Amino acid sequence: MAAHMASTQKITTSSTAEYFSKNLQQVGFSSHTKAVLTTLKEAVDNALDACEENDILPEIRIEIEKLGAGSMKNAEQIRICVVDNGPGIDPDDVPKVFGEYLASSKFGRGRCTRGQQGIGISAATTWAQLTGGKGALIITKQKGMRKALKARVEVDIKNNKGTMKDKDMIDWDRPNGTSVEFIIDGRIQLNGEAGLMNYLLGTSLVNPHLTLHYKLPDPEIPETTIERVSKDFPKIPEAVEPHPHTMKLGEFIAHSHLFGKVKTSNWLGKGFSRVGPSVIQELIKTAGVKKAIFEKNVDQLDEAEFKSLYTGLQNLPLMAPSTSSVLSIGEESLSKSIQRLGAVDYFSVVTRKPTICDFKPVEVEVAIARLQVKTVEQDTPVQVLRFANRVPLQFDKSACAIYNSLTTVNWKAYGLVQPKESLPQGPYIVAVSVVSPFIKFKNASKETIDSSDELVEEIRRALMQAGQKLSKHIRREDKANELEEKIRHIEQFGPILVEGICRITKANDTRKEKARLGLMKLLGRDAQEAEKDLESASEKLEAHLVKTKKSETVEEVEA
Amino acid sequence: MASKSSVAADIPKLSKELCLRLLGDLEKAKRPVIYATKCSLDNAMYNPKVGYLTPGDKKVATELNVSSVKKMSRTIFMLEIILGNLETGAVNTKRELYYISKGYIKHDPKLKPLDFADQNESDDIIDFICEMLEVYREEINCYANDRGGQTYSQQLIVTETMVDGTKATIDLSKLGTSPFQPKNRPQNLKLSARKKIDFCLIVESEGTANTLVANGFTKRNNCILMGAQGVPSNAVRGWSKLIQDQLECPIYFFGDLDAYTMQNIFRTLKAGSAASLIRNEDYSAPEVRFLGVLPDDIKKYDLLDYPVKENDAQEARALKKAGDVLKNDPFFMDKKNKGLADILKWLQVNKRRCEQQSYFTVNPKDPTMPEKIIIDKIKRGHYV
Repeated sequence: MAAHMASTQKITTSSTAEYFSKNLQQVGFSSHTKAVLTTLKEAVDNALDACEENDILPEIRIEIEKLGAGSMKNAEQIRICVVDNGPGIDPDDVPKVFGEYLASSKFGRGRCTRGQQGIGISAATTWAQLTGGKGALIITKQKGMRKALKARVEVDIKNNKGTMKDKDMIDWDRPNGTSVEFIIDGRIQLNGEAGLMNYLLGTSLVNPHLTLHYKLPDPEIPETTIERVSKDFPKIPEAVEPHPHTMKLGEFIAHSHLFGKVKTSNWLGKGFSRVGPSVIQELIKTAGVKKAIFEKNVDQLDEAEFKSLYTGLQNLPLMAPSTSSVLSIGEESLSKSIQRLGAVDYFSVVTRKPTICDFKPVEVEVAIARLQVKTVEQDTPVQVLRFANRVPLQFDKSACAIYNSLTTVNWKAYGLVQPKESLPQGPYIVAVSVVSPFIKFKNASKETIDSSDELVEEIRRALMQAGQKLSKHIRREDKANELEEKIRHIEQFGPILVEGICRITKANDTRKEKARLGLMKLLGRDAQEAEKDLESASEKLEAHLVKTKKSETVEEVEA
Repeated sequence: MASKSSVAADIPKLSKELCLRLLGDLEKAKRPVIYATKCSLDNAMYNPKVGYLTPGDKKVATELNVSSVKKMSRTIFMLEIILGNLETGAVNTKRELYYISKGYIKHDPKLKPLDFADQNESDDIIDFICEMLEVYREEINCYANDRGGQTYSQQLIVTETMVDGTKATIDLSKLGTSPFQPKNRPQNLKLSARKKIDFCLIVESEGTANTLVANGFTKRNNCILMGAQGVPSNAVRGWSKLIQDQLECPIYFFGDLDAYTMQNIFRTLKAGSAASLIRNEDYSAPEVRFLGVLPDDIKKYDLLDYPVKENDAQEARALKKAGDVLKNDPFFMDKKNKGLADILKWLQVNKRRCEQQSYFTVNPKDPTMPEKIIIDKIKRGHYV
């Protein structure tokens, strides 16, 4: 049969670029609106990652404009330009960064960076090339360079290679940075969950150290600058080696290829977390792995030997991986950042300690803000902002672990309205950020976090803690309303009651005045009691805030 | 409780005393408390010698504070309207009082906070005033619509004393097929009979009462025939009590055999209700007997009965309530009413019901068959 096939069909291989250019919907280009958002997102992610890696406080300028009708049906031609103050890109690397798939400085490194595989920005270049006819226009300048490189990068789809066109060295009025511009077919959606505004709002929330300028093609939205609220760099922890329990056999074997001629015992010790000499001893003793395997060089192992090592490791109860590799925004920064969402009435933020879910280190942070201007109807669901490694997730929410966690928490207990198995309601923004060096997404376009039971439970706990903090505020507010109501009651009904009684008893004015004073005294006592209640509720809230502050400081010291 | 006719005149005095007490307390910056009789089953007493439900010692105390100042202000406001009515002799329904209060508020913006959102709110205040003064609404000139109680008789003569003191005489035999409609204030009526009246029959269904009259029931029997029209209104209850007291004739009730009729209609007619503990004395007829339909009748006359349908919400609820009633209602718990309690138990166990109209199945060709059975039962003393 194989011989028959060979005679009639020719087996060909296609490049990675070819695959992705035909399957751009898998990486976030499945609709016109998504195309705009994904392009912007990829450019911003790269800019932020580059700044953070080089200890630069990011300042990013976004410009989006409509140029006219697009080449595709129902699409507009849109220019998206993102300029950062990052370190700039080595001119030799420019075609790789923007024009080659899977060319990444971050691939499989196990760090909490936004980008991971090196697909997104090349996909954006491909989209621009396919719909607008031109690739990405790049201007980049590194420190020390007198002039900036300006070039158009395109993807050589057949060979998965980036190519540079119209290369020029130009004057650029900044010491370093990168500007990337795409002209693509797409459609702009400003509002709603999948809107641009939501993306900008979310990005500024989880990046307190970011100064963001943006200009959108809507005359009603003026050119805006959101200033940074924190000068602290997010400390991106060092990468950790992968944990054997998170790998499949194929990945395990592929991992060995990165090491080449080293002894198997050394490979295991250096290439994985939580595998030390004692584990190797245990493998020999209990899992029955031959001692000779550990003495061999890893490139000499055959498949059966890899398999016995792999299954041996899977059956051993290894320690969970270290949580030191996760990055957090922190409650303090989040508290400052949340105020940039608009006029916020009050808020509560929770940063959970890093923990292990499905053998991967994860950290969950939650911020809940109540908007001062209650333009939304009371029965409208809360606005949810989802983040994975500080990147907003804006599509396909119903399958997401964050959404599942939100709908299974009983928000009624914290004073919010919530229909059964649904999102709570009211003028609130609930932001949930999941950070992990190994986030499991449902798809390559990174829109939905996979809902594992452990992760959902961890997110639920964070939400519940934030809910508890919130309920203290709501309770205090209820007491304040009660007091107001009581005072109003006294003012309204007191005089009417006295007048009525005096008319029936035909009492004179002196008695009437005396009764009025007596009544005020009586009801005033009630109001004073209500005031006391309010004070004690406020004190409780205050004490709670002090306590949580203290415990955080202790945790930090311990850490 | 004192005799109602003497208390009625005291309402303005009682009200003034109450207000003076409130005023005195206020002057001393002391919290005034208003006590009202608790009108609920847990404060209902039943003495078989008295024969109706009377209030126990439980009082509802309303102390003036921030939460109750609104209710107290509204009470005093409504009391003033009622006292005005009593002074001029004006009468009103609850709905009219609701509108009158709205009118005062409309013309005096200072009263705006008292405004009632709907009639339920003003009704509650009127009821509270009754419980506070221990009077019934008719005594404060607040009347309900005269529902039910249409009465037919060839013997009965009613003399009504009008508000202006003049008298009107109504001879029921002269009304043709029209019934006499009793009023909510039966105290103003005097009854007499052309001939000795043998019995009074109260029929649950107004329609069936009509049929019996049309077929000559009142011509053949020296009796009073009354249609109750469901749960007896104050008019029906007061009217029955008047017939019982002034004519001293036996009274029988003829209605459906089901839990609702027994515990809601018949109990209210015979012993009053928990909600009206204050006025049961004048609004119940303890001598009334349950003629049927009795469980025995089903077998004896081969009546058409049927099981209580699960989806008939009212019946299913009534049957469920029967369990509570047997345990908690002092009327059904008293051994004097064991026969009635036994019927409730029978209904609970058998989960069947039989309607009053089923007497028509006995001999479909004879329209007077129900009458024959009723008379037969009265003669044989077959009632509870």
